[in-house]
Amino acid sequence: MTSTLVKRRSFLTGTGTLAALAILTACGNKPDVESVGSSTPVRGGALTFLIQGFDAGWISSKTSISSYEGNLWGHLTDKLVYVNEKGDLSPWVAESWEENSDATEFVLHLQKDVTFSDGSPVDANAVVENINAWAVGDAERGIAKVGLFPSANFESAKATDTRTVKVNFSSPTLGFIATLGYHGCILLAPATLKSNTDEQADLAKTIGSGPFTLKSWQQGESYVLQRREDYSWGPKALGYSGPAYLDTLTYKVVRDASVRTSTVLSGQADVSFNVEPQEIDSLISQGFSVSTPRYLGFVDGFQVNTQTFPTNQASVRQALQHGIDRQEILSTIYTQDWQAATTFIQGTVPEAGDFADYFAFDQQKATDSLEKDGWKLESDGYRYKDGKLLEITLAANPYVPSDKAVDELIAQQLQRIGIKLNLKVVDVANYSAWQNSEPPLLHTSRSFVDVGTVAGILTNRNGGEDWFKLGDSDQKLNKLSDQIAQARNREERAKVADDLQKYVLDQAYFVPLVQLVQRLYLSSPKVRGIQYNGLAYANFYTAWVTQ
Amino acid sequence: MSARLSGYRNLVLSRLGQGIVVIFLAYVLSFIVVSVLPGDAITNSLRDPQSGLSEEDIARIVAFYGLDKPVLIQLLLALGRFVSGDLGISLQSGLPVADLVFDALPSTAFLALTALILALVLAVAIVVGVHLLPPAAAGVLRSVPSFFLSVPNFVIGLILISIFGFTLHTFTITEPNSPVATFFAALTLAIPVSAPLAEVLVSSLDVETRQDYALVARSRGLSRVKVFARHLLKPSALPSVTMVALLIGELLGGAVITETIFGRNGVGTLVQRSVGAGDQPVLLAVVVLSAVIFVLVNLIADLSVPFLDPRTSVTKKKKDLVS
Repeated sequence: MTSTLVKRRSFLTGTGTLAALAILTACGNKPDVESVGSSTPVRGGALTFLIQGFDAGWISSKTSISSYEGNLWGHLTDKLVYVNEKGDLSPWVAESWEENSDATEFVLHLQKDVTFSDGSPVDANAVVENINAWAVGDAERGIAKVGLFPSANFESAKATDTRTVKVNFSSPTLGFIATLGYHGCILLAPATLKSNTDEQADLAKTIGSGPFTLKSWQQGESYVLQRREDYSWGPKALGYSGPAYLDTLTYKVVRDASVRTSTVLSGQADVSFNVEPQEIDSLISQGFSVSTPRYLGFVDGFQVNTQTFPTNQASVRQALQHGIDRQEILSTIYTQDWQAATTFIQGTVPEAGDFADYFAFDQQKATDSLEKDGWKLESDGYRYKDGKLLEITLAANPYVPSDKAVDELIAQQLQRIGIKLNLKVVDVANYSAWQNSEPPLLHTSRSFVDVGTVAGILTNRNGGEDWFKLGDSDQKLNKLSDQIAQARNREERAKVADDLQKYVLDQAYFVPLVQLVQRLYLSSPKVRGIQYNGLAYANFYTAWVTQ
Repeated sequence: MSARLSGYRNLVLSRLGQGIVVIFLAYVLSFIVVSVLPGDAITNSLRDPQSGLSEEDIARIVAFYGLDKPVLIQLLLALGRFVSGDLGISLQSGLPVADLVFDALPSTAFLALTALILALVLAVAIVVGVHLLPPAAAGVLRSVPSFFLSVPNFVIGLILISIFGFTLHTFTITEPNSPVATFFAALTLAIPVSAPLAEVLVSSLDVETRQDYALVARSRGLSRVKVFARHLLKPSALPSVTMVALLIGELLGGAVITETIFGRNGVGTLVQRSVGAGDQPVLLAVVVLSAVIFVLVNLIADLSVPFLDPRTSVTKKKKDLVS
């Protein structure tokens, strides 16, 4: 049963584009352009947002929050800190904060009179319970900690008075405040945090302090949120703090991308999540808008496994770094909304440098590197050394829909320099098994809100993820990684981050492709005022619908 | 009690017994298959590249859900719960599996039933046409079922949505449970299902038409319509009863795609979500549910055949002799 279902599903997505084209031509009527123009927010109205699916469930702390659930949580709950698309932090429920000189002690001052929708106060005690849940979780109840929270050196969170919280770490933790703006760190009522997993799974019982409350829901089908009239603590950075303009915000699950797009085009819904990049121009010419916000994190690219054949050879890594024509990827697969990578972290991260020279497309350099190392071109067009074919098996990241097309193009590019790329299709269910098989190249898409995260990922130090499978064999990388982790101020850390980026790119441990846009939003011209945060989540709190 | 009646009772009992064995085997087999597949809902979501959890964190949560135990132990635990009527908790959503399944069931049952009725109407319409229309038109009509079979379900759905949803505004896709939207979803499902039904009806009708009794009836001066309605329809319907039972599986499979395209929440979308995530408890519940439905429908079909055709005797020859 399973295999036919999986086949049917991939068949369905594969032909979806064709069907979408058919539908697009069938209903190419232009929207009403007269309504465009007003820029004064209008109170009232309803907005329908089409989304692919709420499949990860509603236990906010059990797992990472997917972008789908994260978007809905973003309207039911608040965070302590707001992070904008440039990575700037600004007050939200925490109206100010201080940190000591070595960034080990933080004091958060909370806004007055913030309440959860069950009436309980968002006070220091409630915040302490939330921080403990994010930092530690509760394995006894099957609740994981929040993945990106700096737990390894977390010591304690204490309420010093009703509106002040003191948080201590055993070593410098510059990333702490930034983490509070991360989509996993949502403030929930203490009653919710104490309840069991099966109660937390019931969205109606999970209480937040956000600008909307849950009005009704049908699991996996539609979710209706309504405005909270007494809301007055929205992030100042959004330029508005009062109750939302919309009466209701409806999330509707429509799994098929072409149907989602056509539903907005036909005026039956207002905003839709994810369209195909190739459709964007046609949609814009019809008067609709498509937003392609970038998020803070790593670019779309490959983590290189330094222990697996053939990427255990420096010559092959260099050939990959310089043999991929990123400009061709941008012009073939994406539109002008996409940008070239300048390093292995997104350009929106404040510490991102421009090190594009380290991975510039240079076919000669790539082939020279292979020739020198003894990889000889044979009559079949591929290179061999000691009788071994230079081939790499690659699986597209199922979390980034356009990766498959990117990989197909890269396979052609690498063929030109004699490297054989075998493409493997792996769906979400099987992707972790693929990751565990330690493939030579692994597609990465990971968001973060603070560059300090990088330290805990690249090597195996401080319980890190050892992305390049180097263990702690690379002394220079270890040193740079430690320096980032232990940095006490941001200027010092930015300098180290520069060195780290150059080193990783020079060693070709990471092969960047393009800056990642993982969330696209198609919206009707009637919708105004949508804002996007640092994680590229659409925020409908300040949105309104023109009549 | 007459021999015929007790024979019928024995048939019912033995079929019920077989049904229970089938359901049990379906459960055990699918448990093993699902366990062999890589990944489960918990591990998949924890290993999502966005989650950033360490191996230790992941191991602790996986242990909480008992997913680190050997498959055989997991199977025995699950069987124990299943026998006591507990379908467990969905690994993906954390909600009780029974709630998820019974929330999704009515929508799918209604869709499938409507589709079945539409498919029967379509099939009968084709058969009546083939039998009563002039030969040229009938020939065209005969090729309709193979055309229906060759167009994929989702293409039919997208065409119907495009024409009636987006162009004519007969229904809105954001209200998938409205009667009109349900009608078009059911039609999407009914068109491919009607094809084999129509083919079986047409061919058995062809056979019956050549039977002596039909020729006799015709020669007695009965009109084509009367022969068709009074003499041919009932015996020709016999193979299609079995066919309908088999098509239930087709309807459930087709529901996955139809529900996806029409944005309906049902057993089909539940299966799709659960397969994608490796949500074992939900998958098992759906497999068992499908087995139960399949067994029941076949039971009804088998038990109704003797009423449609008295020639198929339920009693054994020997018993007849004894009585």
